[in-house]
Amino acid sequence: MSKNKLTVVICGFLYGLSFQLQGAEEREPYDDFYCTTCHGADGRGNFSIQAPRLAGMEPWYLRRQLENFRTGVRGAHLDDIEGLAMRSMAIELTDEGIADIVAWVGSWEYDPPQVSIEGDVTVGEQIYSQCAACHGEDAQGNEALGAPALRGQNDWYLVTQLKNFKQGWRGGDPLDNYGQQMMSMSQVLTDEDSINNVVSHINTLGRD
Amino acid sequence: MTALVTRREFLNLLGSTGGASAALKAGSVLGLLPAASIAKSLDLLALGAKSKRVAILGGGLSGLTVAYELGKRGYECTILEASHRSGGRIFTVRHGDLIDEIGNRQYCEFDDDPHLYFNGGAARIPSLHHNLLSYCKELGVELEVFIGENNNAYFQDDALLDGKPVRVNNYKANIRGFLAEMLAKSMSEQEMDKPFTEQEAENLLGIIRSFGDLKEGDLYKGSSRSGYKTGGFIAQGVQKDIIAFRDLLQTQMGGRILTAYEGEQGPSLLQAKGGMDKITAGFLSKVGEKVKYRAMVSAINVSNDGVEIAYDQDGTRQSLKADYCFSCIPTHLITGFNHNFPSEYVRALKYVRRGNAYKAAFQAKERFWEKDGIYGGITRMNNRSADIWYPSHGMNQDKGIILGAYNFRGGMYHTNMSQEERIEAHIKDGEKIHPDYRSLVEKPVTIAWHRMNHMLGCAASWNKDFGSWTEEERHMFDTLQAPVNGRHYLIGDQITVNVAWMESAIRSAHWALEDLDQRVRAELE
Repeated sequence: MSKNKLTVVICGFLYGLSFQLQGAEEREPYDDFYCTTCHGADGRGNFSIQAPRLAGMEPWYLRRQLENFRTGVRGAHLDDIEGLAMRSMAIELTDEGIADIVAWVGSWEYDPPQVSIEGDVTVGEQIYSQCAACHGEDAQGNEALGAPALRGQNDWYLVTQLKNFKQGWRGGDPLDNYGQQMMSMSQVLTDEDSINNVVSHINTLGRD
Repeated sequence: MTALVTRREFLNLLGSTGGASAALKAGSVLGLLPAASIAKSLDLLALGAKSKRVAILGGGLSGLTVAYELGKRGYECTILEASHRSGGRIFTVRHGDLIDEIGNRQYCEFDDDPHLYFNGGAARIPSLHHNLLSYCKELGVELEVFIGENNNAYFQDDALLDGKPVRVNNYKANIRGFLAEMLAKSMSEQEMDKPFTEQEAENLLGIIRSFGDLKEGDLYKGSSRSGYKTGGFIAQGVQKDIIAFRDLLQTQMGGRILTAYEGEQGPSLLQAKGGMDKITAGFLSKVGEKVKYRAMVSAINVSNDGVEIAYDQDGTRQSLKADYCFSCIPTHLITGFNHNFPSEYVRALKYVRRGNAYKAAFQAKERFWEKDGIYGGITRMNNRSADIWYPSHGMNQDKGIILGAYNFRGGMYHTNMSQEERIEAHIKDGEKIHPDYRSLVEKPVTIAWHRMNHMLGCAASWNKDFGSWTEEERHMFDTLQAPVNGRHYLIGDQITVNVAWMESAIRSAHWALEDLDQRVRAELE
């Protein structure tokens, strides 16, 4: 199916769900296509908004994160400006709404992101050996372990999240089992250089 | 008091800073005026039979300006607007309007009455913003006075007089009295002779005395400018007690209270009668049919002979080919598109940070401020809500819309709150000024520009060091101002050094139009 055609199908599906609040008063209708305002055209990610790439994200991982934002397991730390913004968006999502978003995101074609982080790839590869057990040798992710793919994500976003885990802005919630694991693992990254190094290595792993 | 500034030292000080005229040229950092100018009439070439297609991305004021001016010259313009309305950050909120904040969608519940509106974005027009005022005239937009400065409004700081609100005139009269007394004392010392003539010295002393309302012996003993405690019409007025000098100095906001209405924020200010979006409506009366709404750009590809835009509308991806493109889409949203911009251009796009200005408003059940002698104007508070604006219009009506918060640079504080928390914070802050505030206000709206759909920011922030630009910042500004391949122009107040004004948006559009005109003339003539 061509990209355009697929978009039509999915958007048409969503379109029926939008415009919910048209009521007695003939109020200005709204639509629910908020994702691309922040996350960029076709979910390509937007550095300026610090909103990650959604295109290509595993459906199970996207669903879990939306649920985490909804409950406040993620995005509740007062210093996490972008997390707070996402939480305000997710807080009123229904299960059906989350399923719609996951389906919509799944319709976007994946284009490889540009590399924006500089680091020592060799050192990064050594560090990554500790990550590979969960995230896979090629950072392809492992659903059984709840570990998302890392390759193919915006590198600046990986850096931000590693910092967020390290300083407890993410993964600090006792109900966030996977986040807590990641928070403890992130402590092997001793400084900003080691974060840049490991992300630089992930950048070399490419993606289909 | 030790070591008063002597007259000579005072003059030396003036000389070393280049004097008053140099200070005036120092620019917008002090809220002073940019160079005055008159409205420009654009001398653009009218196209003959051979038209040119122009894609305008964003229905903000600069985009509308481009469509209007090029339309007059025979260009074929299409405006793609992502949201449901034109005007961008000219946003007047009335009964039933949608406030499309991501994660906090609101419908305005104000009563349905023409004077019950709130300018949630642009709200003031300085009287030297000639180009904007000229368009208002041309487009039949009626204007009225916007009252900013009001000496009967309040100033409140928890650090000052146990947090009791003070009338602005009371604070000002006292601080000016003490300042003048210091100056007069320095004038009276033995150095009186040199560089002034006797007459000059006398005149200067006259100014100082008048500035501070000094009494005999050049002493400040209070002033009727503070307002009377009692009387003043039939009975003799009883002067208010002087606020002790040291008490006046307990606030860090004194300077701001004294100078809040200098430069562009000073009188006379204007507003569009009936709401600032009457300006948008004026443009739309000329170019409205060119606007496609809910048309969200997803890709911009610039080639040597034109621009191709991809956008989503009605659930389908569409394409628009044009000879030229003018984009007032915020830089921080453009970085989320598919595009083929040069890397230097992208670097600059990524550098500009998005503003986080925040406003909130209430409908007041009655115009309680008018009972307190306040007609229009602004109360300043040293808290996060910062301002209360009393409406300049609808005086003596039953109800009114009151601005309950305006934080231009520190808007994230409230943005990060839930709607309920925001409102509670503004009510608590407002209660310090008007004790019955909680029971007098209703139907709140909040405008968190950082999260508004299709905006995600208020005025662009260029310089990281407030008040000055680095060489690199200037270079990036030039990079973004210049058209890509002579085809893609970035416009809007974001591409000016004086962001957040409507005049700036228009001036950026004019700059781009004149640049385009040179290219078109070179091609056609």
